[in-house]
Amino acid sequence: MTKELEQKFVSDLEEHQNIVHKVCRMYTNNQDAHNDLFQEISIQLWKAYAKFRGDSKFSTWMYRVALNTAITLYRKSKRSIKTQDFDTVLFKIESTSYDDTQEEQLKLLYKAVYQLSDIDKALVLLYLEDKNYREIAETMGISEVNARVKINRVKGKLKKILNP
Amino acid sequence: MDQLDLLKKDWKKQEDSFQKVSYDELSKLIHKKSSSIVKWIFYISILEIVVPIIVLLFTGNDTTNKEIQRLGLSNFINVFYIITYIILGYFIYRFYKNYKSISANSNSRILIQNIIKTRKIVKYYIWFNIAIIPVLSSVVFYKAYNSTDFLEKIPNGTNMIIVWLLSLILIVIVMAALWLFYQLLYGILLKRLNKNYKELVNTGDCDDEL
Repeated sequence: MTKELEQKFVSDLEEHQNIVHKVCRMYTNNQDAHNDLFQEISIQLWKAYAKFRGDSKFSTWMYRVALNTAITLYRKSKRSIKTQDFDTVLFKIESTSYDDTQEEQLKLLYKAVYQLSDIDKALVLLYLEDKNYREIAETMGISEVNARVKINRVKGKLKKILNP
Repeated sequence: MDQLDLLKKDWKKQEDSFQKVSYDELSKLIHKKSSSIVKWIFYISILEIVVPIIVLLFTGNDTTNKEIQRLGLSNFINVFYIITYIILGYFIYRFYKNYKSISANSNSRILIQNIIKTRKIVKYYIWFNIAIIPVLSSVVFYKAYNSTDFLEKIPNGTNMIIVWLLSLILIVIVMAALWLFYQLLYGILLKRLNKNYKELVNTGDCDDEL
C-alpha cells in the first residue's frame, strides 16, 4: 500500500478516533484493556482499509470493523477486571450535571450495560449513537425486524434492572 | 426523563473524557502486531494440517517400508498415500479459500460464519484423520497377525479373539483420545464465536434474562 494511502487513512482515523474509543469504552473496563483494544481495532481498520470501497461513509465502515474486532476478532485481555470494580473505571459521570437520583440511575445503567452480552453491547452502542434500524441491521448482518426486536429486548433488560 | 434518554445524553458526554491519540502515535500503532483470534486459528489450523503430513512422511522410512513389503502391503500403502495426499490437497485448497474470505469488512454475521466455516474445514480434516486409524490399523493388524513370523512367535493356544479384542480396544482408545483432544480444543477456541453467532441469528423473543 502506498504512503499516501496510509497517510490518508491515519488522518481519517485521527479525525474519527472517537468511534474507536466508544467501542473500547463499551467493551473494556480499565484503561490498559481500553488501549489494547484500541490498538487491535486500529490494526484491523488498517488491514481492512484496502477493501474499503467508499460505498458507505468512512464512519459507518469504522463502526462495522471496530465492532467486528470487539465481538469476534479480539482475544480478551487478561487485564480485564471484574464488574465489581466498576466504580473506579472508565465511565465518567459528572455529578454536577445531575441530581442524586439521576447519578445513581446512570451508575446502575452503566453497570447493567457492562453485564450485557457482546452482541447486546453492540446493539446498545449503535442505539446510543442514534443509528437507525437499517444501519444497525446492515452492521450486524441481521434483518431490520430482528434488529428492532433485539433493541427492544435490550431496552427491556435495562429497564428491568432499574425497576425490578 | 426516560432512563434510556438519560443514558444517551450522558453517553455523548463521554467523548470529552477520551485520551486523544496523535497522528504520529496512530501511524506507529497500525503497524503493531495483531492479536486477532483469526491469526491464532490460522496458526493452529496450519499445525493441524502439517502434523499429520509429518507423521505420514516419518512413517515412510526404510524399516517401515521393509516391514510393509514383508507383510505384502506395498500396493495398499501406495494407494492409501495417493488418496490421502489428494484429500489433503483438497482440504488445503478449501481451507485457503475460506481463510481468504474472512474480512472485518463483512457484517458481523458473515464474519463469524466465515470463521466458523474455515474452522469446520480443519475439523473435517481431523475427522478424516481419525477415521483413517481403524481402516489402516485393521489392515495392518490383519496382515501382521496372519504373518508366519507372528504365528511362529506366539505361544500355543493363544486365543486370537482376545488378541483382536485387545487390538480393537487400543484402536478405540487412540481414536477417543484424539477426538476428546479436538473437542476440547475446538470447544475453547470457538466457544465465544458460537455463542455470539447463536445470539445474533436468534429471532425468538423468549430470552429476557440478562
